Amino acid sequence: MANRTGWSPGPPEWKEDLAPITGADWNYDRAAHLLSHAGFGGTPVEIQQLADLGLERAIRSLVHYETIPNPKMQPFVESGLWDSSLNGFPESRPEATDRALKSGVSMGIDTKPEGNRPVQPVSDRFFYWLRATMLETRRLGYWWANRMVQTTHPLEQKMALLWHGHFATHENKVRDYRKMMQQIDLFERGATGNLRDLTIKVAENPAMLYFLDAQYNVKGAPNENFAREVMELFTMGVGNYSEKDVRECARAFTGWYFDNLTFKVDPAKHDAGEKTFLGRTGNFDGVDVLKIVFEQPVTAEYLAAKIYRFLVRDELSPDLRKKLGAVLRTNNFEVKPLLMVILSSKDFYSQASYGGHIKGPVEHLITMMRHLGVDEVPGVPDFNQSTIAMGQHLLNPPSVAGWAGGKAWITPGMLIERGNVAREVLIPDMTGFRDWNFGAGSDGVLGSRLRDGYDIGAATAVGDPSRMSTFDMVNLERDEQFNTRISGYIGWQQAARKLIPTPRNAAQFDLTQMVLQSEAKTAADAVDYLLWRLLRVPTAKATRDALVEFLTRELGTDSLVRAKTYMEDALRMTVHLIMSTPEYQLA
Amino acid sequence: MATRDRLSGSGVSRRDMIRIGAGGLGFGLVGGIGPVPFVLNRASLAAAAEQSGKILVVFEWFGGNDGLNTIVPYGDPMYYKHRPTIGIKERDLLKIDAQFGWHKSMRGMKQLYDEGKVAIVQGVGYDQPSFSHFTSVSFWHTAAPNSGNEYGWIGRTASAIDPAGTRGNMIVNISDSQTLAVKGENHVPLVFIDPTRFQRGVFAQEKPVLDALGAQHQPFGDAHQYVLEVTRSAAQASELVRAAWSHYRGKDNPDLRLLDLDKVAALIEADFPTKLYYVPLRNSLFDTHVNQAAPHDRQLEYCADAVAGFFHEMQRIGRADDVVMYIHSEFGRRVPENTSLGTDHGTAQVNFVIGNGVKGGLYGTPPSLTNLVLGDNLETTTDFRQVYATLIENWLRADSAKVLGQKFETLKIFRA
Repeated sequence: MANRTGWSPGPPEWKEDLAPITGADWNYDRAAHLLSHAGFGGTPVEIQQLADLGLERAIRSLVHYETIPNPKMQPFVESGLWDSSLNGFPESRPEATDRALKSGVSMGIDTKPEGNRPVQPVSDRFFYWLRATMLETRRLGYWWANRMVQTTHPLEQKMALLWHGHFATHENKVRDYRKMMQQIDLFERGATGNLRDLTIKVAENPAMLYFLDAQYNVKGAPNENFAREVMELFTMGVGNYSEKDVRECARAFTGWYFDNLTFKVDPAKHDAGEKTFLGRTGNFDGVDVLKIVFEQPVTAEYLAAKIYRFLVRDELSPDLRKKLGAVLRTNNFEVKPLLMVILSSKDFYSQASYGGHIKGPVEHLITMMRHLGVDEVPGVPDFNQSTIAMGQHLLNPPSVAGWAGGKAWITPGMLIERGNVAREVLIPDMTGFRDWNFGAGSDGVLGSRLRDGYDIGAATAVGDPSRMSTFDMVNLERDEQFNTRISGYIGWQQAARKLIPTPRNAAQFDLTQMVLQSEAKTAADAVDYLLWRLLRVPTAKATRDALVEFLTRELGTDSLVRAKTYMEDALRMTVHLIMSTPEYQLA
Repeated sequence: MATRDRLSGSGVSRRDMIRIGAGGLGFGLVGGIGPVPFVLNRASLAAAAEQSGKILVVFEWFGGNDGLNTIVPYGDPMYYKHRPTIGIKERDLLKIDAQFGWHKSMRGMKQLYDEGKVAIVQGVGYDQPSFSHFTSVSFWHTAAPNSGNEYGWIGRTASAIDPAGTRGNMIVNISDSQTLAVKGENHVPLVFIDPTRFQRGVFAQEKPVLDALGAQHQPFGDAHQYVLEVTRSAAQASELVRAAWSHYRGKDNPDLRLLDLDKVAALIEADFPTKLYYVPLRNSLFDTHVNQAAPHDRQLEYCADAVAGFFHEMQRIGRADDVVMYIHSEFGRRVPENTSLGTDHGTAQVNFVIGNGVKGGLYGTPPSLTNLVLGDNLETTTDFRQVYATLIENWLRADSAKVLGQKFETLKIFRA
């Protein structure tokens, strides 16, 4: 059996010490720790490569990644669901149909000159785009997840994921996957750049402008939504500004809006008057107030602590928070110097930081891929359904506050789902799988009634039309401008016709080869190898022994050589069980 | 009462379920690793069942419900001055008296009100209110306005009722992530959203290993300890919840739309020992900054129908006398409408306390619409902790000062 570096966290006294470790402190296990926190883990080969670089070059390769080729990053291939008539998409179905009733046209669709339901095509059009952008956003989530798996710049992707949860907007409200795509690009490009610049770009980002009601923030009638959140959630934290600051800040952002995917300022709607904000007075605009926000010491501390908690561990002392804030501030809000300090520090390699981080659901799933050496996120199970079940819907955080993270990721229900998702990855239900993109949910019942020849009134009835008399059904048919229930179904059909299907392949990996190559000879060797490869915190001997007993029983022998022709599924179950342990949830 | 039947097809009686349920989660989780699982003896089982009488269901209307368009002060001309466009017309209201009326969408709760089961408390809030959803809701969750507490008021109430944490499954939180209100020192809340997905998918041969998953008894830190504890409790909890859900008939009735209160009804029907249920509204439409009328109408209708349906279910299963529901939001909304036909974040709000034990009627001083405070806002006339104290003391019969850190004057909303 090969000699493997065991678990080697630094001594407890390293905790909270930002002094760098030395080359003598560097080894394979520390490299594994680094890659699991500053990325999404990796295979032993990848970890060994990082370890071989030596301490300084290893950390630099993660933080200063720009020069490292990243050949697998490809642009998102769009299905072609959008056209320019959808620009200025109505905020609600009533708005969509009211436009048509007033002007005869809405979203590029004319009303019918005569006949029942003259506005039906407009209602259908509204639902078409709701379904289209929802479905395309699912593809976008897949695309992003694959970037996380395939990148040679793992820290770039990890930080982009942090900023998505930090400057949170969700497609549910934004209703335009293109704006979400723009945002992923923004977060990738700005992942480890200057935080002041990133915050200004976020303030000018169309998804954010729409999400926090910029279109309603105009001179004379300021809307405080963005002004409040930018201070409370994005930069300073609550309690560091007054209600008056919020109102003045809102005035500074008046007139900011977007046209399609472009940021614009309407001078006529901008309040150019004098504002007093955080103790400063001037004719500030949005950029000015953000610059003032970044002059506040608390901003550096708030953001540095956010980065630290995301990458290292949940708990940090007020003292460490101050120190990290000082690093960020001294470096003019450049993130890379802060990352270098954190990832080189004794604190980062101290025992407190080993297993101190509960992996988020997306991180958890990406980590599974990278641990198994899988190079593409599988189609079965569905990536989005899996991560939603574990509590994280990528591109749809629950609110502007993003995901709480830390212990909030773990409840009995979500913990169980983590094990279930692991099983679906390892032993996918290929024959039971149904593609949710092509199942219209409750709208589907309606659709099958229409296809069975019922008219719209009967198809949308509460009861079952096959049990109704002709008389009942005739009574159900009625004169109306449009029927929204039918539009949900028709819109889904129209969107799905154009949608590029998601390939529904299983994850490709070979545990038999993996285990044999590790030079494991016995079931116990195999279990020990897999535990070493997958866990960042040791599990109990009782768990290990139960796994050995399980694998031996499944194989019908202790010998891997004897069992090598049939051991794949038993190994997969073993890994499913390992990935269901409490220890596997940690990094 | 039909509730004592054997659960069809399961071979498990409801009494058996109490037994499993009572032992389910109470093994002294937080602050140390206790014996797994904790098993109650027969005598304490009986005691647990006896004590399980009174139940509190908190239904949190997150988003900032517009109280003025919920219980509408139509008798005050200032209301229509502040809200020329979005004010609810007198003819649309379900009238209470010459001053107030229910929003037209709230027939379900109005019916309960007419039966004398709804206490409406107006002007509820706290001093120096926060206008942030997240800050204000955290104040409500911790019952510590402009301050904080590691634990929530529901978690602390569980501790006041059962300081040793020996009673299992005391708190249930129907949510996709744990609500701060339920976080407790010695009771781990059962948190779930979808009972059918609340189980481990395993192959038969894997089952013997499951018990070994949480075998590590030397946690390597806080995070590890937490995940270990939840691992150990998750298995038993999931079994109980699924059994309760699969036997709950209400879920098969398409006309009974209870939002997430259906899961509460299922657990109550299965005689869960839970005393405290916490249900935050999902996909809330209450944050009505823009074009308020349509979403607010719809949200109130969904909520009022769900509340009425829930109490019909309590009636059907014979537990209506044992359940009180408390409804609140994190704040009310600004008094004047804004230029987007909506309302911005505000202060004092309307609360509801509902149940057979409640003396229906209007409580609290309605805030003035003339003397507004803090920039066009309603003045708080009842501290929300007075309502909490009333529920803790007069309904759950626990020591409210222990939970809230001080004594608050209670409201006389419960029948003697």
